Amino acid sequence: MLAEMAGYLQIDPWPPAPDLLFWGALMLVGGGLLGEAVFRRLGLPRIVGYSAAGMAVALAGQGLDAGRLAGGVRLVVDLALALLLFELGSRVNLRWLRANPALLWTSAAESLASFVAIFVALRWLGQPVNVALTLATMLVAASAAVVGRVASELRSAGQVTERMIVLTALNTLYAVLLHKLVTGWLHLDEAGNWIQGITQPVYTFVGSVALAIALAKLVAWVARRLELRDENSVLLLLGLVVLALTTAQLFNLSTLLVPLMAGVMLRNTTERPWVWPRHFGTAGGVLVLMLFVIVGAAWSVEAVMLGAGAAALVLAARAAAKALAVVGLARWSGIETRQGLALALALTPISGTALVLLADLHRSHPDFALGIAPIVLSAIAFMELLGPIAVQWGLRLAGETQPRHRPAAAPAPGGTV
Amino acid sequence: MSLGTFADSRSLTLGVELELQIVGTHDYDLSPSAKDLLRLMAKRKIPGAVTPEMTDSMIELCTGVCNNHGEVLAQLKEIRDALVDSADRLNVGLCGGGTHPFQDWSQRRIFNRPRFQQLSELYGYLSKQFTIFGQHVHIGCPGPDQALVLLHGMSRFIPHLIALSASSPFVQGTDTGFHSARLNSVFAFPLSGRAPFVTTWDDFKAFFDKMTRTGVVESMKDFYWDIRPKPEYGTIEVRVLDTPLTIEKAAALAGYIQCLARWLRIERPFEPAEDDYLPYTFNRFQACRFGLDGVFVDPKTGEHRTLREDILVTLGALEIHAMELQAEEAIRTIRMEVARDGNDATWIRATHERERLLNEVVRQQCLRWAGRHG
Repeated sequence: MLAEMAGYLQIDPWPPAPDLLFWGALMLVGGGLLGEAVFRRLGLPRIVGYSAAGMAVALAGQGLDAGRLAGGVRLVVDLALALLLFELGSRVNLRWLRANPALLWTSAAESLASFVAIFVALRWLGQPVNVALTLATMLVAASAAVVGRVASELRSAGQVTERMIVLTALNTLYAVLLHKLVTGWLHLDEAGNWIQGITQPVYTFVGSVALAIALAKLVAWVARRLELRDENSVLLLLGLVVLALTTAQLFNLSTLLVPLMAGVMLRNTTERPWVWPRHFGTAGGVLVLMLFVIVGAAWSVEAVMLGAGAAALVLAARAAAKALAVVGLARWSGIETRQGLALALALTPISGTALVLLADLHRSHPDFALGIAPIVLSAIAFMELLGPIAVQWGLRLAGETQPRHRPAAAPAPGGTV
Repeated sequence: MSLGTFADSRSLTLGVELELQIVGTHDYDLSPSAKDLLRLMAKRKIPGAVTPEMTDSMIELCTGVCNNHGEVLAQLKEIRDALVDSADRLNVGLCGGGTHPFQDWSQRRIFNRPRFQQLSELYGYLSKQFTIFGQHVHIGCPGPDQALVLLHGMSRFIPHLIALSASSPFVQGTDTGFHSARLNSVFAFPLSGRAPFVTTWDDFKAFFDKMTRTGVVESMKDFYWDIRPKPEYGTIEVRVLDTPLTIEKAAALAGYIQCLARWLRIERPFEPAEDDYLPYTFNRFQACRFGLDGVFVDPKTGEHRTLREDILVTLGALEIHAMELQAEEAIRTIRMEVARDGNDATWIRATHERERLLNEVVRQQCLRWAGRHG
């Protein structure tokens, strides 16, 4: 009866088979609603809601397959992360590190301590050296996506916010470089191909830097001629970032390094301040929302069953290491212990960066990736909801969020201006 | 609270206070970093002091008691260098200017101190709009009566000082058309304006007691007058200046005021009278709105001329006092300013005209403040 009517109405196929676009739109609406609800009712960052929507998808068994990012999903993740990394990079003032060397030391100490803590924790759990080493490179970095997004949503400003951004950009940089080195070493280990083991990381690095320079130069060129606060020129900017990104994919370069370094270069080779709407306006905002839903959907019940214990230990060790390094160097670098604690808290999120590194590993070393996926996915699952809240707490502890921030009277989104 | 006695101070000594903007180096919007900056400055040995101000993206510096323009400039330089060095460690910029050109006042946070929180309660949005930055100059007076006479004599030159120091053409991202839009914010306060025309301390005390009896004021701090006596220091305090973009200009303005004071005290070029205040608000408005091109109405003769003309005439009369006070450099700077840009408001407008981006204008203001401009 129903099928006949469907045939009459030319609904084909029957029953309807919604495609990716349908699910994507549903995700957008669901994530958007949940984000708004979480923000208004609980006073939490909206991305907690986006991620929760993703986690619900995963709970229903529709999540990503062991952290593999297929086709369109990978594109969305890459694009959204590229925008966030570019934004983050464009706020890194290298001159600051020269004026305040204690900050550079904090960065080095924080990253090194996290790396060692994760490695030691995993070795203690009996994981082999290559697993411990790879995981350490993947989990060392704080989440650029969470940090950048929460800071702009809360309109936070001050030393902890600034340092959180710089330290995140730097540890993301270290993490990606180290990761490439370690995967190069995996080649060496597995295939005994030492030429490939050395040339691949070098190629990735050099190629990414070259592409980043090109992107930074193009953006600077465009910006000198157009008003960046204008909606049209922002679209052009968005187009440039996307173009650079797809080029990076075509030549198997790092989709993380290119936008991050382009941002850093843009900031440090030009004097003029860079102002554009947050996440490059609405288009970017949509991508960012989808990114968090996707990353939220990365886990699976089986993965967490397998990896939860190890992930919990690793996260605890990592948080302790970051706290020790950042708080220890706080006063020397010119902030109070309380601010140091807030900063350490704000550096705990893990999210998209780790997922992309895992997805890359799936491509280059499928079997190996499958083995470490449970721990990475568990860590992401834990921090997906806790991370944004930790950043919010940190910024609040430092007194850098807007006091009496009333969602009902929230200012229009976007705009550093 | 009583008025207290008028402290002893050496005649014609100088002290300068400057309120500064703290901005982020990312977008050059105001940055709430006063507390961090003060903590770093606490470890430094500087002449004078650095203190918090109303909102946490401003900071105030003051020199110690100085004898002449050279000392003021030297002290300002020492404090400025220490401040800029600390600011570099925090990745923030410091700049002059009477207003921040594009800050959103609703985003400002009141610095956590009881007095500031009280004022914030009382004045509401006005206190956040009060995110404005001024220069105050103290002139030492041998006694309270002399202080009041000097105060009323100096009032004639308030329009000069407004026009010369003006550096606040932009507010909330728009060109106000004014050279000093900052003073419009000051005039919104109920107790702003000028001091009552009394020339003896006894009369002033009587006025103050009457005011306190009404419960409207508690201390001298509640008066936002253009010039007010400061009994604790034994000075009169000129408060109409916008914070200039450079310490050189700030020191020159202090030197100009010192020369005016000496001229008024020694030569007594005119006798202050209540009627001098008849064109006062007109003159002040002209100076705020049009800077040096504003019309100046001579309070004694009723003649109209431009402020630029009146300043040039005054500069001539000050030459000899500048020599006595070793303030020739200050007078030369003012002369050059009058001949060239006129004031910092003009510089800000020209820079905006060229750059078309207020964030970039603030960045260049930071360079000027740090003494790093070409």
